[in-house]
Amino acid sequence: MSASPPPLIEARDLAASYGRVQALKPTSLSVAEGELVTVLGPNGAGKSTMLRAMMRLTSASGRVLFRGRDITGLSTHDRAKEGIILVMEGRGLFSQMTVRENLVLGAYTLTGDETVDGRLDGVFRLFPRLKERYEQVAGSLSGGEQQMLAVGRAIMAKPKLLMLDEPSLGLAPRVASEILETLGELNRQGLGILLVEQKAPQALRLAQRVYVLSLGGIVAELPASEIKSHHDLSRYYLH
Amino acid sequence: MPDLVQFAQSLVNGVGVGLIYGLVGIGFCVIYNASGIVNFAQGVFVMLGGMVCHALLSKLGLPMIVAAVLTVPIVALAGLAIEFLVVRPMWDRGAALFAIILATLATQIAIERLTILTLGDQPRTYPEFTLGGPLKLGSIAISYQLFWILGCGSLMVVLLWLFFTRTTAGRALRACSQNREAAALLGIPVSRMLMLSFALSAGLGAVAGILVTPMQVTAYNIGTPFGVNGFIAAIIGGFGSAAGALAGGVLLGVLQALAIVLLGAGFKNVAALSVLLIVLFLFPSGIFAALQGSKGH
Repeated sequence: MSASPPPLIEARDLAASYGRVQALKPTSLSVAEGELVTVLGPNGAGKSTMLRAMMRLTSASGRVLFRGRDITGLSTHDRAKEGIILVMEGRGLFSQMTVRENLVLGAYTLTGDETVDGRLDGVFRLFPRLKERYEQVAGSLSGGEQQMLAVGRAIMAKPKLLMLDEPSLGLAPRVASEILETLGELNRQGLGILLVEQKAPQALRLAQRVYVLSLGGIVAELPASEIKSHHDLSRYYLH
Repeated sequence: MPDLVQFAQSLVNGVGVGLIYGLVGIGFCVIYNASGIVNFAQGVFVMLGGMVCHALLSKLGLPMIVAAVLTVPIVALAGLAIEFLVVRPMWDRGAALFAIILATLATQIAIERLTILTLGDQPRTYPEFTLGGPLKLGSIAISYQLFWILGCGSLMVVLLWLFFTRTTAGRALRACSQNREAAALLGIPVSRMLMLSFALSAGLGAVAGILVTPMQVTAYNIGTPFGVNGFIAAIIGGFGSAAGALAGGVLLGVLQALAIVLLGAGFKNVAALSVLLIVLFLFPSGIFAALQGSKGH
């Protein structure tokens, strides 16, 4: 019998504090290869802190393993080089640079046979609007276009794991739906995704598994298909 | 009352020294953009540029072009040393920016003292790059060195523009200046970018020092006035903008030269600081940034 492969990413007892306030209690979670996992939770539950800790943007205790290898000691940029790309809340665009420059910088860690032009073609297939805005300054794009650029820039790196912090925040429902559909498409192509949202019925429809975070700790972990059977959770997160 | 010739002559001289201030100002911007640090040791690179070039010429007897070309990487190494020995230990420990800025000021003083101890306190100079000047345009005399300053200054600006817009490292440096966390999340090694910014900035200071030494001597203490005037040039231009710093430098150089002609040499620094105060009062984010802002509306 062959051993099951290690998860794509695994956080073990990850905990973080801001001063005396513990924003994230020891938390463990994992995402398997090709899996889309959604983390739900209200504002202040510790979702962003968890993602920041996983990328070492916030100092944290605990361990992070990527494909079974301990990457706890790696810096933020080395984790990105491994193929873990985080789209931050607020998008983290270089607002004074053009769409082209943002996308090209997304390919900073790109190695091997892949070319920047090849990756650009792929991004434009997913978000044709970005091609129309190619030479426009990122700060002048609409909110939806900025989010498309943030996701497009992340894809330029040919990530192995894509993590997104509330990508639908502040967007019109139609635009948010378009972006989430694209994430679903990327996942169907085999990309592992960790998607953090406050409330997103559509994100749940795309996900295979769900973690629920509350007051800095995970309070539930279940297959996405089972959330309907949990009365409290479905009432809060599906409507 | 000065005549027209004096006026024109001072304008020409002002543009020359202003370009030097501009180069020093760009050096401030490069480091500030990459890190948020105002490197008050910036003037030291101008002094070292002149001193190292002089040493290579007089001690090793190298031709001017070779000495000049060698000086730039040597001073860039000094910039790297400051980054590695002074800035990085504090940066890695999460020291407050103002503490790091004060440390760069202390570094400037320490390097000045070391220069006295090793090279003495006597001013030094070397001949202009092109001998036989000055060029006479009527009654106005223009030193050939001024053309070198204009040419090399312009070349530096073009090269910097190409670097920041056409190269991966340049784009990465700009990315760091806009959002360091987002840059790191794309795999850009932010701390290595800080090193690069110090090397680049020191190289720019060295070019300024090499160019200005034949017109104004170099000595252990010239770093402070060049540093202060370069800092003012950067602020006038809207701290962070290379083109703004260059324009700010030329404006400052011309105003200083006019102040000397119209009011006397004692008013040179008064003019510089007055310009700084007026600009900060009218355009708190600098003239260049204000102009860009008004274009955007």
